[in-house]
This record gives sequence, C-alpha cells and structure tokens, in this order.
Amino acid sequence: MSRRVKLALYALLCVLCVPFVFPTWWMVTSSVKPISDIFAFPPALVPSRFDFSTYGRVFELQPFGQQYLNSLYIAAVVTAGTMAVAAMAGYAFARVRFPGQNLLFLVVLVGLLIPSEVTIVPLFQMFHAAGMTDTHWPLILVPILGAPSVLATFIMRQFFITLPGELEEAARVDGLGRFGTFVRVALPLARPALGAVAIFTFLHSWNLYLEPIVFLSTPSKFTLPQALTQFVDAYGSPLWNVQLSAATMTALPVLVVFVLAQRQFIEGLAHTGLKG
Amino acid sequence: MTDLGDRVAERPATRHRHFWTIPRRDALVGYLLVSPQLVGSALFVLLPLGLVVYYSLQEWNVLAGTFEFVGGDNYAKLLADPNMGQVLTSTALFSVGLVVLNLALALALAILLDQRLRGTTLFRTLFFSPVLVSLVAWTIVWQFLLQQDGGVNGLLGVAGVDGPNWLRGETTALLSVVVVQVVKNVGLNMVLFLAALQGVPRQLYEAAQLDGAGAWTRFLRITVPLISPTILLTSIITVVGSLQVFAQIAVLTQGGPGMSTTVLVYYLYQQAFQFRHLGYGATLSVLLFLIVAALTLLQWRLRRKWVFHES
Amino acid sequence: MKAPGKLAALTLAALLAVTACGGGGDAAPAAQGPQPLRMSIWTSNEAHLKLFNEIAAEYRKSHPQVGEITFDPIPFENYTTTLTTQIAGGNAPDLAWILENSAPDFVGSGALVPLKSKVENAGELVPAATRLWERDGELYAYPFSTSPFGVFVNTDLVKAAGQKTPRELIKAGQWDWEHANEINKAVAAKGENGLTILNFDYKAWDNLATVWQGWGARAWSEDGGTCQFNAPEMVEAMTFMHKAVFTDKSMPGPGTAVDFFSGDTAMAVAQISRAAMLEDATFKWDLVPLPAGPKGEYAVIGQAGIGVLKKSPKAELATDFLAYFTNAANSAKLAAYFPPARGSLLTADTMAKTSPMLDGDQLQDVVIDGIEKGVVKPSHTGQAELAQTVRAALDPLWKPDADVKAVLDGVCAKIQPLLGG
Repeated sequence: MSRRVKLALYALLCVLCVPFVFPTWWMVTSSVKPISDIFAFPPALVPSRFDFSTYGRVFELQPFGQQYLNSLYIAAVVTAGTMAVAAMAGYAFARVRFPGQNLLFLVVLVGLLIPSEVTIVPLFQMFHAAGMTDTHWPLILVPILGAPSVLATFIMRQFFITLPGELEEAARVDGLGRFGTFVRVALPLARPALGAVAIFTFLHSWNLYLEPIVFLSTPSKFTLPQALTQFVDAYGSPLWNVQLSAATMTALPVLVVFVLAQRQFIEGLAHTGLKG
Repeated sequence: MTDLGDRVAERPATRHRHFWTIPRRDALVGYLLVSPQLVGSALFVLLPLGLVVYYSLQEWNVLAGTFEFVGGDNYAKLLADPNMGQVLTSTALFSVGLVVLNLALALALAILLDQRLRGTTLFRTLFFSPVLVSLVAWTIVWQFLLQQDGGVNGLLGVAGVDGPNWLRGETTALLSVVVVQVVKNVGLNMVLFLAALQGVPRQLYEAAQLDGAGAWTRFLRITVPLISPTILLTSIITVVGSLQVFAQIAVLTQGGPGMSTTVLVYYLYQQAFQFRHLGYGATLSVLLFLIVAALTLLQWRLRRKWVFHES
Repeated sequence: MKAPGKLAALTLAALLAVTACGGGGDAAPAAQGPQPLRMSIWTSNEAHLKLFNEIAAEYRKSHPQVGEITFDPIPFENYTTTLTTQIAGGNAPDLAWILENSAPDFVGSGALVPLKSKVENAGELVPAATRLWERDGELYAYPFSTSPFGVFVNTDLVKAAGQKTPRELIKAGQWDWEHANEINKAVAAKGENGLTILNFDYKAWDNLATVWQGWGARAWSEDGGTCQFNAPEMVEAMTFMHKAVFTDKSMPGPGTAVDFFSGDTAMAVAQISRAAMLEDATFKWDLVPLPAGPKGEYAVIGQAGIGVLKKSPKAELATDFLAYFTNAANSAKLAAYFPPARGSLLTADTMAKTSPMLDGDQLQDVVIDGIEKGVVKPSHTGQAELAQTVRAALDPLWKPDADVKAVLDGVCAKIQPLLGG
C-alpha cells in the first residue's frame, strides 16, 4: 500500500471516528463543567473550570451505589443464566435428533420476533399475581428464559451446527454419552460463541429501560438506566450536570474494562463461528 | 432407526435396556437440554402473546376497571385509523434507513479495519465504544448535541456549514434518530463482519487478482458470497431491532415533529400506556408481531437464494 | 380483567413452584396486624420526603392498625403512564398524587373514593382550587398543591439591557405583554435569551395557557365539546407568540436549550415553587405576576391532588390517613413546599413563615391573588391523547413562515372528533 493511500485511509478513519467519540467526550467533560458552560455555544471542548461537586450530589439524590450494584448483579446473573440456557438449547437443536425438533425450534424462535412493549402488560399482571413486582425477579427470569434469550440460543445453535461431526463420533467411541459429549467436548469448543452471547446479554440487561420502569417502584431497587432519569427537580426538569455525572459514572467503568480487556472481548465476539 | 421386529423378539428382562436405544437416549437428553428454554418460551413468550391476542378483543378501561368483550371492534378501528398511514410510512422509512445505513457502515468500517494498517486496534475500540455506553445516557447526550445551538452544529460550524435545527424538522428528526441509533450499535455488526472477513482465505483474493479481477469485482464475487451467512444473521438482528427502537424516540423526539418519528412501536406505547387504550394497544401489538414475523420469514426464505453455503 | 390475570397467575405460580423459584410469599396481604399503605408521588426531593415521613410517623402513633406508610416516587416524566400501568397490572397504590391534566380522567372514571365528608373543614377550600376535582358536588381528590404561575425575572440581565424592571412597570401600570416583549427583545439583542416558558419546550403546549389566557383564549369550550384553537382570540395570542419567537427573537426558538436558573435568560414563566431553585442564584431576581394581556390581568395555576383509589382493599384506612395528611395543621406544614388551597392559610403572614424565599409583595401578588382568581391549565377527559394530537398538529406553527390561522384550523380539524366523540 502506498504512503498516500495509507494517509488517506487514516484521515478517513479519523473523520469517521468523530460521531463515535465526541458524544462520550462531551458527556465526560460536561459532567465537570459549571452548568452555564453546558449551554454555551459553540460547545466548549474542555471545561472552563472543574466542578466535581455534582458527583457528590449524584449519591445524595439517589441511592446510587446500591443502584449500581443492582444493575451489576442483575446483569451478571442474567448473563450466566442465559449462557447456560442458550448453550443447552442451542446444542440440542443443532446436534441432537429428537421428534418434534424443528417445530419446537420454530416455537422458540417466536421469541425473537416480540418487542418487549408487546408483552409487557400481561407479564406485569403475571408477576404481580405471583407477588413479584418491585422485586428483581422479572428482570432476571424474563431475560434468561423468555424472548431475550432466544437470540442467544440462535447464536449457539448456529455455532454448534458448524462443529465437525467427527469430534462427536470420537467422543462416542471414547464412551461418552450425549450429555458427556456436550459438556466435555462441545462446550469447551464453544468458548468464543459463549463470549459473544455473554457480551450481547450483558449489554442487553445493562441497557434495559422499559421493564425496570414498569416493574420497580422503590428507589433502592432501581437499576442504572432508570436511575439516570431520576435526577430531576420536583417538577420534572432535569438537573443536567448531575444527570451527566451519573451518566458518566455508568459509562466510564464499562469503557475502561473494555479497553483493558478489549482483545479478548472483541476477539471473543469475532470468533463466534458466525462466519458460517 | 429402531427395528421393531428386533425389539419384539427380546425377552422382557433385557427389553428395558434395549428400550433406551442410543437414539432414544439422545432424544431424552435433547428434550432435557431444551426444556428450560421451552418452559421459558411457553411462560414468558407464548402465554403473554396469547393474552395480548385476547386483550385485543376487549375494550379495557383501566381507571373505571371495566373489561368488556367487543369482538373485532379494535381491528375495525385499526383499519379505519387515520394515523395508520403516517405511522406505517414512518416505520418503513425508519427501518429501511436504519438497516441500510447500519449494514453498509458496518461493512465499510470492517473492510477499512481489515486493511493491513497499524493502529486498527485503536480505531476498532473507538468504533465499538458506543455499544458499551448505556442507551439512556447516550440518548440524553445526543439530545444536547442535536439542539439548534448544540455540539453537532458547533462542529459543522467549524467546517463552515450552517446546520439545521435537527430535531425540529420532519426529515432531519427521522434522520437524527436513525443516525443516533446506528452510531450506537454499528460496532456490534462491524465486529461480526470483521470476523467474517478475516475468515476469507487471502489466497482467493490473490488468485482473483492474478486473473485480473478489480477490487469491486473481488468484493462482489468473493467477499460478499463468503460472508453471506454473517450478512444474513446481522440483517435479521438489525431488521428485528429496527422495529423495536423505543427509548431513543421517547427521549429525543417523542414521536414528533408532527408524527414524523411516530413509528409503530412508539404508537403502540402511546395508545396502550399513555392514552390507556389497552385493547387497541394489544391490537397494534398483534400487528407489530405479524409484521416482524413476516419480514423474518421472508429473510429466512431468501437465504436459500443468496446465502453462499449453509451447513 | 380478573380472568386472564388469574389464569396467568396460576400457570406462573405452578411453574415457579416446580422450578423452586418461590419468593412470592410477600404478596398476600396479611389479614390481621397493621396494614401498610402506599402513596404514589412524583417528587423524590429529600426535604419533601422527610416531611411526609414525619407526618406519617405522627399518624401511626395514634393509629396502630396502620403499618408502614411508604411514599413511592415515580419519575414525573412518565408519572401518569406508570401509575396506570400499575393499576392495569393490579398493583394500584392506596393513594396517589394526580396531575391536573389527568384529573378529568381520574375523577370522571369513578376510580377515586369520594372525600367531601372526610376532609377536615372542606368548606374553606378555595373554589378555584377544587373545581377540577369535583363532580356532582362531591370532591374526589384533595388539591394539596395549587401553584400559580408567575414570571421570574433576572433583574441583572434586564438592567444590563438598559430596560425598566417589571417591578417598575407594575408601579407605572404598564406590566403587559407588549412591554414585557420589548424588554426581552432588548435582552435578546444583547446576545442573551429573552423569555422562556418552563417545561414548554415546544411540546407541552398546555403551558402556553399562561400566555393565551391574557387574550381570553381557550383550548376548548367550557363544556369541553368544541375546539377553540381557531377562535379569533387564540389566533391573536398565537400570532403574538409566533412573532416573539421568529421576528423579535424575544423568546428562544425551538431546539434551543436555555436554563434560567443558571442566569442566561431574562424571564421565565414558571410555577412559584421553582423559587427553591434560586437559593444559590448568582444574579438578582424577582417574581412578578403574569403580564396583563389585551383582556386585562389574569392568573393561571397548575394543580396536584391526592386521591384514594377505589381499587385499594384498604381504601377506608387510606381515606382516613388522607384526611389526617391534609388537615389544617399538616396543610400548614406542607405549605412550605406546596401552596395550600385552604383560605385560612392564604394570608401573606402565614405564607411568609413557610416561604422564606419570597417577600410580602411577591406572596400577595403572585401566590395569594393567583390562587384565588387563577384559571387551571386546560384539561379534558382523554387528555393524553388530546395532548399528543394537539402537539403533533401544532408543530408546523413553530417554523418562521407558518400560517398561524391555517395551523390552528388544522388543530381543530384533528381534535374535534376527540372532543365531540
């Protein structure tokens, strides 16, 4: 590649980067700007002076630490649960033969087609009847077992389909049963696909917005996206700088973890076997 | 598989063992493995879906606490709804715009990053980073940036362009929501494409180059067919996702200006939750479900035509 | 509604028992022992919550049959939506704050428990404050917050633009929209923002009642049956606003974020409770009544009521608590944050004790006079759908070359079926 082409490519990449990077930069810097700077035009790239007091107010106005823990633990449980459910179902649909298999797979796939707005009212009624509103159960059970896990099952199935059949035959010759083959042979090979499922699932749970609003009513049980909309005065006007500080705190740690672990992260996602 | 004659000839004592032939044992394991997902689907997908269909036949007044069978009235209302034309147009424009832009940009970025350039890891990280920012935080930030005197127009001003009032024009508002959503999520598809691209054997390109094929021909004849399963997967996910975009519209435009960004899922939310027409909202849910199902089925059918190889 | 809920519940319960995920035990209300109560509110302000909890604790001392009383904050943004979702899901609170714009829906549907005989000394409630919550002579919610709109003024900005302050104009008998507009035009010409209507943001159009009321305009007729957006008064009022936004630039245009409380804006039309946000203000400010319009002086109020939901199995207990929560003594305490509707509390002296941010003139002119003669912001049954329809139909108005009359005719064409039907 000639130098000129290279330079052009770099320039292109840099320009393309702007909409991806600027919002995050603006969020982080604005969170320490005095409020008048937030509304300044043209927007300041760097704060005129630093004001960290809003970070303290985040914790005064909401049980923000608790809410952070809620989001973290819910996302962790959902991720682990989904990985288990999806790996089992994906493997069975891909490699095991049983009567009614295709029909059942189609039935499961229906979940892929359902936006959460469609079923939220009946789900709310079901969980309320079971005494589970204002608990984290709906935010855990529905993603693990319901519609959101179907995508994970689908990904796992697509991965297991690509596994060469000889591996399983070899396992069988070694005396492993079907379940043993799944656990000892197929699952270890599925690590990359599981990584992809983990990332999809974690992000989905981390971003969940409508469900927490509908199901939870006690501030100490709230999740982060829900908490972000709570930094308002008594009349619903947002406290912009406090809101931006809270938003920064929800985004930065995830970004840092990502940068540190980004190789495993992206490569895990990349080697899903989804390339067919 | 099972040889019936064989089994009948067995003596009762060993029959038990032989009943559990390998295919039968396999089938049992299969059922056990899929059971959590099946139970979950029955409970959290099919049952609520059935209830939604049931509600769509009712007139349900939450505040008065009345719940009354009205048969097809809500469906008649759907056919006569003067807003439906606008809503379906917005939905179609939004989804097509989002899917096309997302897939094209994801593929373009993946190809750029697949070049042998130093520092692509850095750029890969940057392009992927919005995926990790909480959706609500992301949307709140863009709400500022898209103001008349916001960051976007500030940047455009540096380039000498006088930017429009993004969220107040009908076309620009729709475009804004699409772009905000694409920038947020294109990283995922980009990484999937990147992986697929890296799975294409380089020798194929080299051989084609020797045969005198240009870059465009190589892209069309080698790259696209070889990554077609990934294109299928990402397009299914993106199409389905595009019909579910909600929080962004709720924060950025609330369906306006006019009804330009009132897509079906937002209209459904308005009818069911804000206007408290739960029966009619359920009817719209049924419509949304049918649209998503039809589109997905269509894509799945088409895959035989254009997906290069499916195991 | 019962049937599907139960069917769903049974299936779910059965399956959860099998998968041993239980944890649903806390749902069944204990038949005996103290009964907990829950009130949905939209403030999560700590000072407010502290006061509520104090009142609740005091009440429980004398009422051992009542268990914990929780105040359940729901974000203002989605308040009514979330509340009705909870009701639809069978999880209605025992008591709830209700916003003025959903008052007709709640009062008209029979979802609330009648209160007239329970509220202490209901006779002293100002009629302007109770109108919205009454039907057939019965009171269905207690108007605990009756908050007039006034104009907050950044006097520093006004003076810097070389203008007379509103207070001076009031003395001269010249405080009207024309003069206000001149001030804001001058401020805007100096690069700052003129007048903003808080929370309007070119979407929440019901806040514009604070302007059009001065022209004698209304959104719909008294009986709610006829659209009046295209009546001559409304066309005139909207033409004035359109000119202010696009010709005089005295109001920041659509898509422009301003923040009066940070000091970049000369005037803000807002409810008086916002004074609390000026505690740390770095500029000199004043609070004055809404300017007079062509039809003379007027006042507009926003309201919130507390109602008891009929759905609650503990409605009787809840009603008793509501009566206590809003009795004269507690109303006086609540008046620190929520302007009261009780005549006996509406004197400059009592109000001064509870509203240290405001001086005597401000309290008398804006708060007390406002509550007594104020008109409540427009509301109607099916308000959410009406609000959304008007918002969509009104959007074309907020363009420089809009044809005001044609847009307003369009609004009426859209909403008349909703009003009449």
